[in-house]
Parts: sequence; structure tokens; C-alpha cells
Amino acid sequence: MLISADNGAKSMDQISELPGQFRNVGIAEEQAVGMACGHALEGRRVWIYAIDPFITLRCLEFVKLDMCAMNLPITALGVGAGYAYDIMGPTHHAVGVIAAMRVWPNLTIWSPADNMTAEALAEISYNHNGPQYIRFDRGYLPNLYENNKIDFCSGVGLACKGKDVAIISTGVMVHQACRVADQLEEKGVSARVIDLFRLKPINQNFLFQYLEGVDKVVTLEEDFLAGGMGSAIAEVFVDNDYRKPLLRIGQRDTFVFDLGGREVIWKKYGLDVESVTQKILNWT
Amino acid sequence: MEKINKGELLYLKRKANWLRRTVLEMAVKGKSGHVTTAFSLAELFVALYHGKILNFDSENPQWENRDRFILSEGQAGLGLYPVLADVGFFPLKDLDNFLGEESTLGVHSEPHTKGIDVLTGSLGHGLPIATGMADSAKLDGKSWLTICLTGDGELYEGSNWEAMLTARRLGLNNLVLIVNRNHQFTIGFTDSCETQRDVYMDPLPEKFQAFGFETRTANGHSFPEIFKALSSIRGRNSSKPLAVLMETIKGKGASAIEGKRGWHYKVPTGEILEAVMAGLREEEQKLEAQALKGGAL
Repeated sequence: MLISADNGAKSMDQISELPGQFRNVGIAEEQAVGMACGHALEGRRVWIYAIDPFITLRCLEFVKLDMCAMNLPITALGVGAGYAYDIMGPTHHAVGVIAAMRVWPNLTIWSPADNMTAEALAEISYNHNGPQYIRFDRGYLPNLYENNKIDFCSGVGLACKGKDVAIISTGVMVHQACRVADQLEEKGVSARVIDLFRLKPINQNFLFQYLEGVDKVVTLEEDFLAGGMGSAIAEVFVDNDYRKPLLRIGQRDTFVFDLGGREVIWKKYGLDVESVTQKILNWT
Repeated sequence: MEKINKGELLYLKRKANWLRRTVLEMAVKGKSGHVTTAFSLAELFVALYHGKILNFDSENPQWENRDRFILSEGQAGLGLYPVLADVGFFPLKDLDNFLGEESTLGVHSEPHTKGIDVLTGSLGHGLPIATGMADSAKLDGKSWLTICLTGDGELYEGSNWEAMLTARRLGLNNLVLIVNRNHQFTIGFTDSCETQRDVYMDPLPEKFQAFGFETRTANGHSFPEIFKALSSIRGRNSSKPLAVLMETIKGKGASAIEGKRGWHYKVPTGEILEAVMAGLREEEQKLEAQALKGGAL
């Protein structure tokens, strides 16, 4: 069963015609989660869909109770992670979402950086017997794993090889991190990029394997530094007494009202390739 | 139970009296609980379970064909637990450990307790969940009903009205919403503007009708009226969901506190407790005398 809060997508047109497998509750995210809970209690697997901040923050308490506390097989699909809805303003910016979502027990959080990962998550989310949240970007991102077979269930991938520094990133920022790695290469710093496409639970064994050999670690995300992916990595490091210098790059404590597009936002808030490269060079 | 005879009526009245006394004892012992909410629902809970309005199997709580009953105002768990125990979902002695360590009987009802399917306590969740259950039943061709009980104070949560839009759109005529219309919430009255604490909910039947519900009203402390309002909830010849407003009094049966402000989440103590318990015992003695007279013990 797919329940939409009045959001569509080309890929969903076909699904929305399936008899008895699609419901539009209207612009009513709390109802989407609550109704999904009722269906899940009766044995159905349910996906709920809306623009990212609305299917998460708008109905957060329903996520907490009706999905997570009752531990039901409901998958929240949020489209427009980070600043994907760039010109739509703070109402549509999906920031603070990683912090708000990763605290809930039982919840698995996915953050695919390419179509192959997203495609794999269709089956993974169907087979998983608990609540999940998948944060999607808006557009089509280039495939990272066409010539690089990985186990999508592991939650971690190596997007770019390098030996000195590791950049851990997620979603669209993985591609940004790869461009940063190219820039760093020109400056004589070899950076590898780790795609953390499962934000909860973090696969610590795989993560530490991917970090083997590097001296320093950077996190790069298009969400708040407070409570975001970088915070989660810092927690993993502290809790495991993993002692490598860590630089967290992400959004500072501010709302974004700037127009002009995602690239403008990135540049203004230090998340563009040049700024990130410079930060890392200054730090290393 | 379409029509109830005198003996049955007396039996149910005595159960409601027993329920109120038990609720009071549990709350006093547990030092917490929403006594006045539970008192306002005593007749309804007894009618649903002892009066067998609901289809259930206490030996098999997850029986597939049971009606799904959602206690959306989870704080009324205190009033539901004794009834669930009395009809056999779990031992009556479990009531002694209300709110205690190793107990599942909390202030708010949750699904670790036999006979309870849904976690409630945060208001405005039950009806959205009920729409999913009722929709599932229809898709699967099942005849069980989904019955959701909300408080009237709870209806200030917007999610209820979101759920009603879905219920109407999908023609969920297998969904019954029962509203505990006691005209009070935590600090205020729901149909008064006497103080700044009060917020109007009226006119409520018209609101439900406008949202596409068949709407009925009954005195929620009168067994004949409860049975009449709920007697034909199966196989209604209507495509509409049904809303039944049970007119009740918060704290009914405890004259010292009923309908008064400040008792939403307070357990009577001292003289008030004694007065409430004495009143309930007196009522029980009267009912017992009637039963003896009628040979219906």
C-alpha cells in the first residue's frame, strides 16, 4: 500500500493506478502516518510519501508513536533532502531532519546517493520488518556503483578511492565530496569518499574498514552540524575510542532565505567544492 | 443485545457501579489515574464488553474476526482495564498492580496489555489509525468493525478531521466513531466561554454531518440509550461512517467531583474520597436490594 499526502512523481503514476494499493489522503501527513499504522497493524506493508520535511517533521510525533514505538513495517519516503527544494525557502528545506529522525528507536534511515542504491532500497524496504525512512534527493544523480558492485544491505559504499583523508558523506553531497577529492588530488592530497547511505544504524564494522589507512576524517553533509550525520559519526568515534582527527562540514546554525538556487546556497554557506576543498586543505 | 430486560439492566448497572469502585481503588493505590474520565465511560465500557456490543474472544485476544476497538483517549485505560479483566482477557488480580513494576497497566493504554491493539495516550491518533484498519477490512472482504473511542476534548486535534476526510472519501461504513461527550477537557469546558480556559466545540453533530458521517446522539449513562444507538452498527444500509456522540458527565457517579473543574487528572483523597466511595456503596446497596427483590441475583 502506498499512501501519498498529495504528492506524485512520474515513477508513481503507475502505482497510483493499482486498485487497492494506493491512497491519497490529501495534504494531511499526520493522517498518512496514522492510516499507514492501521494498515500495518492489519498485516500490510505500507509506504508513505510526501516532500521530505512534511513526511518527517510535520508529523514527527506520529512517526515516533505510530511507526517507531509500535515497530511497524512502514517506510516513509521523503523527496527533497537537504536544500533540494532550493528556491522554495525554509518551509521546504529538509534540514534538521537527520537530527530529528535518528533518535527514534527501531527506525532505519536510508539516504541513497544514486539511482542504483535507490532501486535496491525498493526490495530492501519491502523485506525489512520495521519502520524505515528513506530520504531522496529530487533529481537523478549519476550512478556511483555501475562498475563497483557493492552490498546495498551493508549501508556503506566506497564512492572514490584515496589514501590520506577520508570524506564521509551522504546523499547528493557524496557527489560533491568526489569533486572535492578531485580538487584535493591536484593539491597533492589523496582523498577517499565514503558513501554512508544508511544513516541508522551505522554499520560500524564496515565504516572502520573503509577508514583503515587514512590519517584524517572529514564529514560533509547538507544538513545541520547539530545532530546531523557528522554528529552521528562523532558519536561513533567517541563511543569506540576511535582516535582520528575529525573535521565536520555542514550547515551552521542558521535558516536559509537566499534565492538563486542550490549552488548559490552551497557557495554562500561554505558547502561548494571550492570552500570545502579549502577548509580541508587549511585543516590538513 | 438489541433490547435489554430488567434483569440484564440491573446486571449491567451493578457492573458499572463495580467498575467505578474498582477504578477508584486502583487509582488510590496507584496514586494516579484519570478517575473522572473513567467514571464518564463506565456504562459505555460495560455495554461494549459485558453487553457484548463488541465481538471479541478473551481466550484469543488476537482472534482475526474480532472488532478492532481503539481507545483513542488512552488516559481512560484505567476504566477499561477492570472490564477487560472481568471478561477474561487477564486475571482480576493484575488490577492490584496498576502502574506498578512489571505491570502493563499504565496510565495510558498500550498493546502489551491483552485486549488492547494500539498504543494511545497522545490524542488524535486513534481515528487516523482506525481509517487504516477499516480500509484494510474492506480490501480484505472482512466483516469486523473498527470502533474508535475519542474524548470530545481530543477532537481539538486536527488529525481527527484529516481522518474524517479519508473516512468519507473511502466510504468507510465499517468505521464507528464514539465520542465521549463530557464537555470538559483538562482545564476548560468544551462548550462554554465562561472563562479564558474554555473553547467552544459545538455544534458538534453538524460538524460530523458536514464531514459526511451519519450522526447519532445518546445518553452515555443510560444502558437502553447506549444499546439503541449502537444496536444496528453492523450491516448499516449506508455508505457513510458512523459517529455516535455519547452525552456523559465527567466524574459521573461521584457527586462531590462530577462536572467540576480541576479533576481531570486528580485522585480524590480524604473526605472527598470517603464521600465518593460512600455514594458508590450506597448505590450498590440499592441495586443489590432491587436484585434481591427481583430474584435476579
